[in-house]
Amino acid sequence: MKGTQLGEFEELVLLIVGVLFPEAYGLGIRQEINDQTGRKVAIGAIHSALNRLESKGYLKSELANATHERGGRRKRLFHITVAGKRALEKNHEIRNSLWNQIPDLAWKRLSYDKSI
Amino acid sequence: MRPPKSADRFLSWFCQGKLLEEVKGDLHESYRIERAHKRRWHANMIYWYEVLHFLRPFAMKGKRKNSKKTIMYKSYLKFAVRNVLKHKATAIMNVLSLGVGIACFIFIFIYLKGELSYDRFHHDADRIYRVVIDFVDSNQRRLPDATTPPALAPALKRDFPEVASSVRLYPNWGRKFLLGASNNNKFHEEGLIYTDSTFFDVFSFPAIYGDTQNALAYPDQMVITRSAARKYFGKEDVVGEVLTMYGGKNETFRISAVLEDVPVHSHFKFDFLLKISRQNLEQDWGWYNYYTYIKLSPGADVANLEVKFQPFYESYQNEQENHNIIYSQALTDIHLKSNLKWELEANGDMNNVYIFAILAVFVLVVSCINYLNLTVAESYKRFKEVGIRKVFGAYKKSLIALFMIETLLIISISLVVGSILSELLFKYLGEILGREISLLQPENLGIFLGICLVVLVTGIIAGLFPALHLSSFKAALAVKGIFNRAGRSALGLRKGLLVIQFAISAFMIFGTIVVYRQLQYMKNADKGFLPEQVMVIENAKSIKNQEAFKTELLKVANIPAASLSSGVLGGLNWTRTLGYPDGFVMNLFDIEPEFIETMGLEFVTGRNFSRERPTDVQGLTIVVNETGLRELGMTHEDVGKSLPLASQNDSITTYGKVIGVVKDFHFTDFKKEIKPFAFFYRERPMDYLNLKVSAGNLSETLVAIEDIWYDFTDGIPMKYTFLDQTFADLHAREKRLSDIILCLTILALFIAFMGMFAIANMTVKDRLKEIAIRKVLGASVTGISNMVTKKFLLLVLVANVIACPVAYFTMQKWLEGFAYRTSLGLALFLVAIGSTLLVTWTTVGFRVLRAAFSNPVKNLRPE
Repeated sequence: MKGTQLGEFEELVLLIVGVLFPEAYGLGIRQEINDQTGRKVAIGAIHSALNRLESKGYLKSELANATHERGGRRKRLFHITVAGKRALEKNHEIRNSLWNQIPDLAWKRLSYDKSI
Repeated sequence: MRPPKSADRFLSWFCQGKLLEEVKGDLHESYRIERAHKRRWHANMIYWYEVLHFLRPFAMKGKRKNSKKTIMYKSYLKFAVRNVLKHKATAIMNVLSLGVGIACFIFIFIYLKGELSYDRFHHDADRIYRVVIDFVDSNQRRLPDATTPPALAPALKRDFPEVASSVRLYPNWGRKFLLGASNNNKFHEEGLIYTDSTFFDVFSFPAIYGDTQNALAYPDQMVITRSAARKYFGKEDVVGEVLTMYGGKNETFRISAVLEDVPVHSHFKFDFLLKISRQNLEQDWGWYNYYTYIKLSPGADVANLEVKFQPFYESYQNEQENHNIIYSQALTDIHLKSNLKWELEANGDMNNVYIFAILAVFVLVVSCINYLNLTVAESYKRFKEVGIRKVFGAYKKSLIALFMIETLLIISISLVVGSILSELLFKYLGEILGREISLLQPENLGIFLGICLVVLVTGIIAGLFPALHLSSFKAALAVKGIFNRAGRSALGLRKGLLVIQFAISAFMIFGTIVVYRQLQYMKNADKGFLPEQVMVIENAKSIKNQEAFKTELLKVANIPAASLSSGVLGGLNWTRTLGYPDGFVMNLFDIEPEFIETMGLEFVTGRNFSRERPTDVQGLTIVVNETGLRELGMTHEDVGKSLPLASQNDSITTYGKVIGVVKDFHFTDFKKEIKPFAFFYRERPMDYLNLKVSAGNLSETLVAIEDIWYDFTDGIPMKYTFLDQTFADLHAREKRLSDIILCLTILALFIAFMGMFAIANMTVKDRLKEIAIRKVLGASVTGISNMVTKKFLLLVLVANVIACPVAYFTMQKWLEGFAYRTSLGLALFLVAIGSTLLVTWTTVGFRVLRAAFSNPVKNLRPE
């Protein structure tokens, strides 16, 4: 049942995991999303997305050492797998190719509208 | 720095073990971050929010489809549904009574939330205050008043660094403006407010077109609302368009911004904003016609500012002639807590909010008690079921779970029924409430969910007792069908609950009657004049020749009297400080001699104005009411003498002659004492034309009047009201209260009697055999019905005995708010008690008689 489609939010999380390498974990990802996009999301939503990405094989994870702020609990650190990289590349390509196909006229029309 | 333990426990309960460590770690870390700059409760709330966000399938403990627990709960649900279907009558009664109770509860709370949310839509509403000045006359009497002089707002801003911005409002003061985009598109408008360019610094009314920053920078600019724009231009983006104000100079205004319509929860409403352009207002400390609002800078303390107001105000007043008191009111308190003279709009009342809240809780309690009662009463039917279940090894805990699921089922259905009912109520009672409400409005959705939660919790508590009661039966006894002690104590409890229900109902009946009586009293009381069949034309200034117009009107058969005035009795009047040597505030307006006749005012002594006497025509004489005469310090002997009327700086400025005294009349609502009133005589065009219209064909008369109207004006529509309507509007708040209380009382009674009927039904069924045997032995039908009914009547009587004293004191307190009020007589009690007894007697009697009339053989044969 699980497709290999990459949802919008999933893609965002996947990218952020890459950005934060090698220290990507739930709370850090949320912080980064908030800083970079201004989106406020619940920790639960992040964990849920990570969970799905992992089961799709785009992410791998391992438990790191315990720290004091977390009351002696370990974090789970995530990193992107080869499949994850490929999925990102595919999305990137599709987007670029679509972007390039938009005729220039479409943008000219916009600036014309504005001048009215 | 530790997050709430309960949340952690909850998390551990539902979250998968393998995820728990990282999840908890993240949550704790985030809690530390939040806690660093937030208060404890706030951080805790966020923590809970985050925890609840983990209620997602991926994180939850795997509940296998066929685990023992799942199967068991499923079967409980099945039993619950079967049981509800089996006892349809009881279930329907339960659902109906609970549903009605829930509907009332939702209805009132949404309504109250609206009342409480007045003016909270402004940004930083807690920093906005209205500054008001109460008049104090030389007898040290304080006359609360919302208006202030125009110099106040600029002075406040200038003298206090804490005041970030200040703004004045100058409403229409009863005037109507004729506006138009073109000659054939004119309307009379009342919602016009003159204000300062700082209006948008203080208040937040979002603009949809244009910029509010410089919207009122020039006197020829105008800001209008979305609906006004639609009305005049048929579109919304009308920035730059021009509106003309007709009359006099035909001023034109350029529209600089279009606002969203003013929210209903604003204590003042408008459709047009104009800039105050009058000259020399900055020095004017004597003209009390403006409203002053200030916004404090962040962190400023209003209490510190408040103490500086009085010295500040007095420093601008010359000498000690004036002892007025200046103070501030929080913007958000104005609607419910302020009741000054000249409020911008009729305000609500905090007391009514309390009354409604109590009523809402009452109705919910009555319906929950009803549920409890019905369920306990039904429990004997399930005696054997419980016994068998126990024999087969059911734990007490699982029995409780079973019964609670039934309760939840019933409550959920009731909740749905209740929500639908309340939505219907909103639809049909929108009129009474004065605004449109729906549960689906986004601002109400949150509170609706909150109410659902409250109802669920209350319902569960109510359901807990029957569940505990039912599960406590001893297995052996239960199977044998022997009632144990628990059964009998439950009977006592049922009676107790019935008494509470009826006490609440009796209390509400009593309250309804009192409110209704007071309304009737106000309607029928001698007002000192006759507002019935008086029609007031409000734009009489538009008539070209008022004298000729009147002459024409009086030729119409059904108009015995017509007269001009500059105010409306019970609607609008002017005030002026009169009296020598001690000044007081006199209410007044100008009239013509015929006004006395038109209004049916009665002279106590003296004479009316006369067109023949030069002194009258020159305006040197006045007619006052009895209170006015008393306040002037005069007696009947002084009528007709020329006496000093007003003074300024210790020198008499006005002499005048009181030529007549009319009987006191009510021109404000009955909450206030009759105030002094004076009539002056002027011969000049005035705003209002009062017509006495004798009974008969009203619509024909109206047509006749309008015909004449169009002969004398250039096509402007005639605006008129009826005076008794104006007067009824003064008591709109009481009328609304009475309507809502009546509704609730009927509903509470309905619920209580459903409970009563159900219990009577149960009792009679229990005693069917007894009744049959008694009949066989020769008892009469009346004897049997009396035997059963007596007990119920006794219960209701006890309920009344409890309710009446409480109701008496509460309603006495309410009535004390009125200066003129009805009395609480014995008859009132008799009606309240009588009606509950009568309804009880018929409900129970009906059921008993059916049993008593039935053939005894039918009930004795089985077994």
